[in-house]
Amino acid sequence: MLTAAIFVPLAGAIAVLLLRGLDARLLRIVATIIASLPLVIVIIAWLRFDTGQGGFQLVESARWIPSLGASYNVGLDGLSLPLAALTAVLFPLAIAYPTDDMGRLREYLGWFLFLESMSLGLFLALDLLLFYVFLDLSLVGMYFLIGQWGHGDARRSALKFFLYTLAGTLLVLLGIFGLYLKMTPRTFDMAEIIRAQPLAGNAFAGGLVFLAFIIGFGIKIPIVPFHTWLPPAHVDAPGPASTILAGVLLKMGTYAYIRIVLAMLPEAFQRYAVWVGVLAVVSIVYGALVSLGQTNLKRRIAYTSVNHMGYVVLGVAAAAAIGKGSLEARQLALTGATVEMVAHGLITGALFLLSGSVWNRGEEYDLEAYGGLTSRAPAMAGMTILFAFASLGLPGLAGFVAEFQVFVGTFDVFPWLAGIGLLGILITAALFLQTLQKLFFGELPQRWRAWPDLGPVEVAALVPLAALVVIIGVAPAWLLDVVNSASRSILAAAASAARSAVG
Amino acid sequence: MIWLVPLIPLGAGTALWCASRRLHRGGLGAAAVAGLIATLVLAARVGSSQASGEFRWGAGLELTLEAGGLSLVMALLVPLIAAPIVGYAAYHEPERGLHRLIGLLTAFVGAMELLVLAGDLLTLLIGWELVGALSWALIGFEWREVAAVQAAAQAFVPTRFGDLGLFLAAGAAFGSGGSMRFDALASMTGGRRDVLAVGILLAAVAKSGQLPFSPWLFSAMAGPTPVSALLHSATMVAAGAYALARLQPALAGAAWFGPVVIAIGLGTALAGGAVALVQDHGKRMLAASTSAQYGLMFVAIGAGFPGAAGAHLVTQAFFKALLFLAFGVAMQAAGTGDIRAMRLGRALPATAALALVGSLALAAVPPLGGAWSKGAIVAAASEHGPLLGIGVALAGALSAAYATRLHLLAFGRGERQRSAQPTRPEIVAIGVLAAGTIGLSVLWLPGNAARVARISGGRVPEESLALFATGIAATVAGYLVGRALARKPIAVPALYADWLGIPAASQLLIANPTLALARVLADFDGRVVDAGVGAAARVGGGAARLLARRDTLNLDAAVMALGSGGHALARFWGRADDRIVDGAVEWVAAAAGAGGRLARRLQTGMTHQYLLGIAVGIAALIVLARVWR
Repeated sequence: MLTAAIFVPLAGAIAVLLLRGLDARLLRIVATIIASLPLVIVIIAWLRFDTGQGGFQLVESARWIPSLGASYNVGLDGLSLPLAALTAVLFPLAIAYPTDDMGRLREYLGWFLFLESMSLGLFLALDLLLFYVFLDLSLVGMYFLIGQWGHGDARRSALKFFLYTLAGTLLVLLGIFGLYLKMTPRTFDMAEIIRAQPLAGNAFAGGLVFLAFIIGFGIKIPIVPFHTWLPPAHVDAPGPASTILAGVLLKMGTYAYIRIVLAMLPEAFQRYAVWVGVLAVVSIVYGALVSLGQTNLKRRIAYTSVNHMGYVVLGVAAAAAIGKGSLEARQLALTGATVEMVAHGLITGALFLLSGSVWNRGEEYDLEAYGGLTSRAPAMAGMTILFAFASLGLPGLAGFVAEFQVFVGTFDVFPWLAGIGLLGILITAALFLQTLQKLFFGELPQRWRAWPDLGPVEVAALVPLAALVVIIGVAPAWLLDVVNSASRSILAAAASAARSAVG
Repeated sequence: MIWLVPLIPLGAGTALWCASRRLHRGGLGAAAVAGLIATLVLAARVGSSQASGEFRWGAGLELTLEAGGLSLVMALLVPLIAAPIVGYAAYHEPERGLHRLIGLLTAFVGAMELLVLAGDLLTLLIGWELVGALSWALIGFEWREVAAVQAAAQAFVPTRFGDLGLFLAAGAAFGSGGSMRFDALASMTGGRRDVLAVGILLAAVAKSGQLPFSPWLFSAMAGPTPVSALLHSATMVAAGAYALARLQPALAGAAWFGPVVIAIGLGTALAGGAVALVQDHGKRMLAASTSAQYGLMFVAIGAGFPGAAGAHLVTQAFFKALLFLAFGVAMQAAGTGDIRAMRLGRALPATAALALVGSLALAAVPPLGGAWSKGAIVAAASEHGPLLGIGVALAGALSAAYATRLHLLAFGRGERQRSAQPTRPEIVAIGVLAAGTIGLSVLWLPGNAARVARISGGRVPEESLALFATGIAATVAGYLVGRALARKPIAVPALYADWLGIPAASQLLIANPTLALARVLADFDGRVVDAGVGAAARVGGGAARLLARRDTLNLDAAVMALGSGGHALARFWGRADDRIVDGAVEWVAAAAGAGGRLARRLQTGMTHQYLLGIAVGIAALIVLARVWR
């Protein structure tokens, strides 16, 4: 079943490329429908998911490269299910969202569908080599979407994105080999590696592999100071591609922090947790301040991603600090971190869609050029206000649920880091209020007298995101219980691994 | 059912905003007031049944509501005060955007009800921040004016700084046993209790406009008058003093808590009074007065008498809402908020008469309830120490002084002039609040002090004849000063009138440096950090060129360097099978080389080969696997 979710979009990509003669509107509808099929499967998986069970569920496997110990293994737990769901929600909306396809709609849609396959595959893969293949191929998809359909200096930005994150994935590959080579019999099977803890008790090798993963995935997340590829990539990418980049691709790094680093190297992570926490807090505060210093709308949102991903990393670091703080607190932090991934995906994804709408209408990201748009576009203003407040962590909306858990959980583990990190919440409040003011309030400049409000497709794409943000914000139990089932079992396994290594 | 108390106004507010474009003023006002009365009735029913409710969020996270004691009083007070204010707004405010204003005001009541009924820190924080966000929307109601929106942000950001205190408090509470419920807080000790107390105090100080956060109340004056009336009476500003009074038993265990709260409160009461005395804009005078009155409540809480603070909160809510609404009528008649250009006693006789009730209560003239509650605070302070009692009496005298000045200038006898008259519903709304203010005189009846003590769960200080006389003397002295100032104002520096220069100082010391730092960092990020990456790539490239003696693209070289790093890594894993390790590293190096060549192609625009490259890579992997077997 999960296999179908992964490969249906890929088949769809090929089909879209081959389909000729369909008019653009119909083609987009077909692509959107194909892209939504995995969502149906993920919803069924969600309904069948058993929160009482800790391990991987709905597992499917097939022989792939048996001689290497690599196999096609997919399945999910409470960590990957919400991320797969996020992916399946964002892709159809991004695909449907109106953009300038530069006369190459079929390729545009094809790359999106290809990327959806790779992203779902990555979150559902239970084999490190398979994970790596999806990770690498997802870069390709995004590279083309930015380079071909971006604006401004798109090619350069795309190349920078590609080379920088490729360097990161090469570090990841080294790390994967480090784990793989210590397994007897050699295998890339994640569940096996988690069980065997091949680097337990080996402080040096464990430390090296840990470093490779932390930096490699840290580039992907990105954490400061490995983040400089992100702003140009976002600024020059078309809005929907930014949505996927921020909403899905950034999550791959933090997902791996939990799935691979925390689960497979708990001992090393425990030792260096506080330093990862420091990096996270630097990302939070620095990302927020640099965002405040921007005058370009999209750069602003891009840097708030650095800030928000900092919350995720902070929660993961707190969870990894076994022996500090109570288990409940660390579990809360880890659940918060995972929920933050989902919340940030929905919220920032929507904000990037909206910034795409701004670009389509004005071809201008400079905030100083705007003002008073509410009078022309009340729906656009309302949506942006909603998602901006969600992003600054207003209760009743999804971001708060995540950030509250991250901070309250972390406070018991690293009180000072949590305290300093809280400043990020304050700065994001200031910067979003300022952004809203510059875009929507005050006097309407003469040049935007004919600014059109959101069209029906745009509204239809944003409303589901808004609904999810509100539902998660008001009644998150259905999500928290699923995430918690994974947090509990990951931390229990990590604790026993770290303990046995010490003993 | 208790959940309906916040949900009804939240839902009604949203519905009114969305659906009421076709409703005219009367219908809009009637619908909103009906919703608020329903909330009031429901709150009363909930209170009589001592209901509580829980709503599960996730493991260890439960939202709880409970009504009893002070929280029930607040739950009743909020819709009671809000109903006349909203009714007034429906007739007082311009037509454009009226449905948005009424909707927001109504929803605001719901957020406040959530806050006051909260039974744990998480629910409190949710209500707390919702109130803050809605106040942003209300203060910036006139969004076409940049100044109003900026003022809204100036109100929101400082209070959000206070909200961080609640995050800290929740963290401390969760850390000591996993519960954030109010009834579990009393058992906290040591450093965690200190963090809890600091956090809640910070939040309360910011919300209640105490020093140094008082100036946000000036910014909040950018909103329409009914917004000010609601924010300054039973909601928003009230949240700080309420939370502090509610949690005082759990926090007082920290030895520093009482003295610090008293110091903040007395400082704000005196400074606020002194600032209010010299304002020429009536709304600003009332705003400074709000800080001062809440300062008095803080003194009572710090002295260990949350009941006295609660009583003053209730009386203040009535007379402050009354004064704001009456002054709104005066502003409309005069076309300005400058009280020196008013003297509308003859032009607006009914409004002036009703406003007099509020002014007398603010000046603490018996038998009005405001005099009783202020007397209780004087008594509470005196019990703590005579000096403190004198300080509070002095603050009371200042209230009497600015109340006198405001009333004489705004509603004194001037020329009979033709001016815009209030509509009947506006007068009714003001009348309801005046009736409430007069009705609170029952606090003087014997036995009611004990009732206040029972509701608040604490003690109410003993009133004595000497204290009563002190209070009267303070009021009379204040009246004389106020009358003198109304006749002949004293000139003060502008900085003094603008909250003692605190806004200027915070702009200079916090806002500007933060913005400058943000710009510097943004520049730094673009140039230095990113350049560092480029430099690292170049250094890596140079090193790899030396190694490889091959002139290729930077990345190619950098990737090669990684490959050689892999070699070094491999040597460390001596125990691993040499052949396989070598093979693996060779593969990495090969892949790196391929990646480099590929990168060059990407650079030259021949990008489409990458997929082929990946395919080749996978094929190589498979071949490798065959070889290993």
